[in-house]
Amino acid sequence: MTTPKKLSPVERIKTESHGLRGTLKESLLDEITGSLREDDQSLIKLHGMYQQDDRDRREERTAKKLEWLYSYMVRLRLPGGFMTSAQWQSLHHIAGEHSTGVIKITTRQTIQLHGIIKSHLKPTLKAFDLQGLDSIAACGDVNRNVICSAHPNQSPAHKEIFQYAEKISLMTLPKTRAYYEIWLDEEQLADRNEDDPLYQDRYLPRKFKIAIAIPPNNDVDVFTNDIGLIAVVENNQLKGFNIAVGGGLGTTHGNEQTYPRLGTLIGSLDTEEKILKAVYEVITIQRDYGDRSDRKLARLKYTLDRIGVDAFKKELEHRCGFTLDTVRPFEFTDRKDFYGWQPGPDGKWHYTLFVENGRVLDDENVKLKTALYEIAKTDKVNFRFTGNQNVILSDIDDSDKDTIDLLLEQYALIQHTSQAGPVRKNAMACVAFNTCPLALAEAQRYLPSLISKIEPLLAKYNLQEEEISVRMTGCPNGCARPYAAEIGFVGTAYGRYNLHIGGDKLGERLNTKFKESLDESQILETLNELFAIFKNEKSGNETFGDFSHRKWISKN
Amino acid sequence: MLAEGKLKQLTQLIDGFSKEELIWMNGYLAGIAANGTRQDAGVIHTNEPKIARAKKITVLYGTETGNSKRIATTLASEGKKLGIRVKLNSLDQYRPEDLIAEEFLFLIVSTHGDGEPPASARSFYNYIHQTDTSLPDLKYSVLALGDLSYPQFCQTGIDIDERLQTLGAKAIIGLQKCDVDFDEEAKQWIHSVVNIKQTESSGPITKKDINLNGKSKTKKIYEGTIRSTINLNDKGSNKQTYHLEITSAEQIVYEPGDAMGIIPSNRKSMVDLIISLTGIDKDLIIETSKVTGRVEELLRNHLNICHLNIPTIRKYASITEHTIPDIRMDLVDLLLEYPLADKSLFGQVINLLAPIAPRLYSISSSPAAHGDSEIHLTVSRHSFHVNEDQRFGLCSDFLGELAAGTSLQFYIHKNRSFRLPESQLDVIMIGPGTGIAPFRAFLSERDAMGASGRNWLFFGDQHFSTDFLYQSELQNFSHTGVLSKISLAFSRDQPEKKYVQHKILEQGNELFQWINSGAYLYICGTKDPNSIDIENALLKVFEDHGKLSREESKNFLVMLENENRLIKDVY
Ligand code: SRM
Ligand SMILES: Cc1cc2nc3c(=O)[nH]c(=O)nc-3n(C[C@H](O)[C@H](O)[C@H](O)COP(=O)(O)OP(=O)(O)OC[C@H]3O[C@@H](n4cnc5c(N)ncnc54)[C@H](O)[C@@H]3O)c2cc1C
Ligand SMILES: Cc1cc2nc3c(=O)[nH]c(=O)nc-3n(C[C@H](O)[C@H](O)[C@H](O)COP(=O)(O)O)c2cc1C
Ligand code: SF4
Repeated sequence: MTTPKKLSPVERIKTESHGLRGTLKESLLDEITGSLREDDQSLIKLHGMYQQDDRDRREERTAKKLEWLYSYMVRLRLPGGFMTSAQWQSLHHIAGEHSTGVIKITTRQTIQLHGIIKSHLKPTLKAFDLQGLDSIAACGDVNRNVICSAHPNQSPAHKEIFQYAEKISLMTLPKTRAYYEIWLDEEQLADRNEDDPLYQDRYLPRKFKIAIAIPPNNDVDVFTNDIGLIAVVENNQLKGFNIAVGGGLGTTHGNEQTYPRLGTLIGSLDTEEKILKAVYEVITIQRDYGDRSDRKLARLKYTLDRIGVDAFKKELEHRCGFTLDTVRPFEFTDRKDFYGWQPGPDGKWHYTLFVENGRVLDDENVKLKTALYEIAKTDKVNFRFTGNQNVILSDIDDSDKDTIDLLLEQYALIQHTSQAGPVRKNAMACVAFNTCPLALAEAQRYLPSLISKIEPLLAKYNLQEEEISVRMTGCPNGCARPYAAEIGFVGTAYGRYNLHIGGDKLGERLNTKFKESLDESQILETLNELFAIFKNEKSGNETFGDFSHRKWISKN
Repeated sequence: MLAEGKLKQLTQLIDGFSKEELIWMNGYLAGIAANGTRQDAGVIHTNEPKIARAKKITVLYGTETGNSKRIATTLASEGKKLGIRVKLNSLDQYRPEDLIAEEFLFLIVSTHGDGEPPASARSFYNYIHQTDTSLPDLKYSVLALGDLSYPQFCQTGIDIDERLQTLGAKAIIGLQKCDVDFDEEAKQWIHSVVNIKQTESSGPITKKDINLNGKSKTKKIYEGTIRSTINLNDKGSNKQTYHLEITSAEQIVYEPGDAMGIIPSNRKSMVDLIISLTGIDKDLIIETSKVTGRVEELLRNHLNICHLNIPTIRKYASITEHTIPDIRMDLVDLLLEYPLADKSLFGQVINLLAPIAPRLYSISSSPAAHGDSEIHLTVSRHSFHVNEDQRFGLCSDFLGELAAGTSLQFYIHKNRSFRLPESQLDVIMIGPGTGIAPFRAFLSERDAMGASGRNWLFFGDQHFSTDFLYQSELQNFSHTGVLSKISLAFSRDQPEKKYVQHKILEQGNELFQWINSGAYLYICGTKDPNSIDIENALLKVFEDHGKLSREESKNFLVMLENENRLIKDVY
């Protein structure tokens, strides 16, 4: 056997943290700095927060004898991306009072607030707590926010399936009360049993993600998750789930050992008990077998490839005490949001609103934030966030539909949604600058303007109605899932992107790097050529992704 | 720990001492323990005069920065040495109703602001100007401290002297005015005072003419160059606070605690406007009582055209024959609203104008740390409104706009009381806003000297993210241990306003322990509202943690001040 490798430093921080407490309380009291002590910066992630700094302002602040502009990003734990009107109203106020004011809908159906300074953290989390919201385990080496196909009209069984997101989320919550003590001033009791059979004191080797898809829509990109559950619905009845394991996208430039991977289907399960048990045991396998020395190779996808799928499945069945059934047939036909009004199976109405890159704010064109606040004030809607960074105003009674429609009209949101072209409406970009410490290039601040330049190219070839999925990230970590797009832009340096093509439309085939480190004019030039060829040579309804794959990728 | 005999001695000794005296002694003894030497500060000699014929004199002082007090104390101890009974008091602790009962009164008072009395002399000053009680039996002399760079030189001393005469008192030594180098004149004045007493001659004495008007040794003017100016406040702040680094080819002689004096130039746009409004030839040579030069040069660099005082406004009204209310305003606004009928009148108007007054800025560097050819300032851009219009203070605006490479004349304004104690003693510095300036100097100095005493800084401003002046430097001081403790209050980062005084209350217990073990306390920054609230907070801390009554707390505070363990530099 190989000699045991040195544990990565984060491992020590986790195990010595006394249930994720570390010295967070002391760090918060340290008035001279807006940052946390180094170890606490790792621990705070498991409480759903990241220490960041405004990267645009570093030099100038240093010259002003100020430390970097440290602030915190808070990410909510929001299983399935569901929120009530009342919760949105307080979110609106909390964002205004404590953060930059921008509400960011993420690619995993939750909300992030940025720019919260240290002294505002506790007030922020307390305010969320009053609304029954928390950020526990939204980040860090634990199971993250569980996502689920968002639209209630997806299936009459949507409600039942959706509840699995909540169940799995609760099952995988860390047992420590640290969050309540540190942020909500709960008293620390010495004799409380905090034994955590799932996480023990080491937590997972790396982040862990679970998604639930309801065919035929793969809006959650189910195969990019560590565990993907695909609902099996027959005659409007939930019959169980297919289970895929080992999806994940993050890579590192120049590290050949890293790669994006789609999940592998290993079987199906038919009862709630078995489903939860299987999910639980996949996590324990990763806990026990995952690489704890090299964080770059610690995700389940690498563990799986190291062990082998068959051995993995055997271990899983062993731990579960039952065998998995064979994979049940399913088909995805879409991976997108259906904008506008849609009726649900129970007679309720749902309006899917386009939110470019998930950024809810008022700008000179649209007062999106104000509009959503006014809509929330009617108390007649629920908010459901989608894996494509949009929001569904949902569960609206027939009698209330006009009221909401009027507000949508009044704030020109209907126009805003319908006027955006198909490419823009299907596009995603990650946060990147100015808050993401890992960003190499811009993403959400840049993609909108790039799309404005791509659209005319498409129009030139009369391709403007093609729903080509375009996704951009500021680095190879893949937060906007660019490797699962038809056109993926992956930042390599400021203003430069690798161009990936050949992914399919449904998230079942990854794309491939086609060109490296292009600047904007090279991007446009390349796309111009590709579109011209696509226009001339595509067969029938062939999508750009499939065509690219056939034409430029599979041949190589 | 004490042997029984010694303990008994001690209990006998302290029997009958008040609580605040005991607390004071505690600090005093801690000081001795730390020093190994006995300090004389704060000890009031009460031994009976040996010369029976000595009379009783009263010595009063009105001070802002401690100079008058120092002279008064010297006078008192000189007098006592000669067996004179001396009653020494600060003007704000003296009941002016008692004047009628005084026989010999010696008053040392400085001038501040725009020719105004120091805060501690204000009530006395007002009292004598309002009372009609005549003082026929009072014999007195006034020593006036001032600075020749200010237009209203020694004004407070002059006013008090005149008023006492009007009330029938007799000046047994004529008014003595002093410039910033007052040592020599003060010594002579003290000499005359104590000699009067010893000869018991209370008849009118011919005043020795030691009036120094005009003979002032002018202070040293340095030629500096701006090395850099940075705005310490970040984007989004309501404030602009400039950190200025100024270099000089020659050695700059100063100590941490000193201030820099600067005479700003008037804004060019304003001067141009005045010239065009009046139609005067900018090259015309004009002679005023103080300076002679080209009109443009006089307006730009010598004469005050901002916020003219009421007497000047009245004189302008009479020259121009306008009816003008008693409101201070800029010359430009006067000219716009009450124009001159004839440009030839402008010569007379120019003659009304006083010289531009110097502005002082606490020096925020230390020679030991930053070298002696370099000096730093921390200047807040002063902003205010005149009828809805936002305006900026002349000098602070002027300094903020100086580009690197610009030359700048300045002088050093010594602040002899605002000094660090011996290196092993603890220091508590309370400096919200630009009040931090001298404390940056103190910390740098103590760092460079390897001083062993502990340092505790209280700082506050509006927002942590944008207004934490010198944050990264303070972090370094904190990491290296120079800054033992820092307490911060950012007023607008939470719904309820929070200021340094709240921090003082919060930290009351520890703060009192520091003071109790001999720490020195410094307060710097704007007077209103900061320093008043800070003092009230300190009183509360003494009450709560020293178990003193309100009255005892006040006495304790005065004791600390008298002992120079509570030192203020507020403006
Ligand atoms: C907000 C979000 C992008 C967005 O614009 O919506 C996001 C933002 C960040 N991601 Fe992500 N990730 C987000 C979805 C994803 C996804 C997509 C998904 O899960 O569906 C991926 C790819 C799938 C995967 O996990 O493989 C993803 C893969 C990463 C990685 C690479 C992980 C890896 O295995 O290599 C990192 C870096 C890391 O973990 O070291 C990362 C790290 C980050 C951090 C926290 C940067 C950091 O570690 O300091 C980014 C915060 C930026 C900011 O200022 O807000 N993020 N991140 C998404 C939040 C999802 C959520 O609500 O939880
Ligand atoms: C010992 C000492 C140390 C100091 N240290 C510092 C320091 O370290 N940092 C610092 O920033 N400051 C310090 N100051 C304050 C500084 O000296 C100045 O007082 C301050 O910068 C304002 O000067 P200015 O020329 O900018 O404003 P000015 O132009 O003199 O204006 C001062 C005030 O006059 C009034 N005024 C002026 N013009 C008009 C008008 N037209 N109409 C109505 N009102 C008017 C306004 O109320 C205004 O606020 C210190 C002061 C002292 C005495
Ligand atoms: C803000 C300020 C304003 C002053 N204004 C005047 C003034 O108008 N006229 C004057 O003669 N001296 C003025 N001075 C000089 C002081 O009177 C001089 O420094 C004196 O020595 C201070 O004595 P003290 O320490 O007892 O207050 C001023 C000093 C300061 C700090
Ligand atoms: S993809 Fe990279 S740049 Fe974009 S948010 Fe994720 S970590 Fe940051």
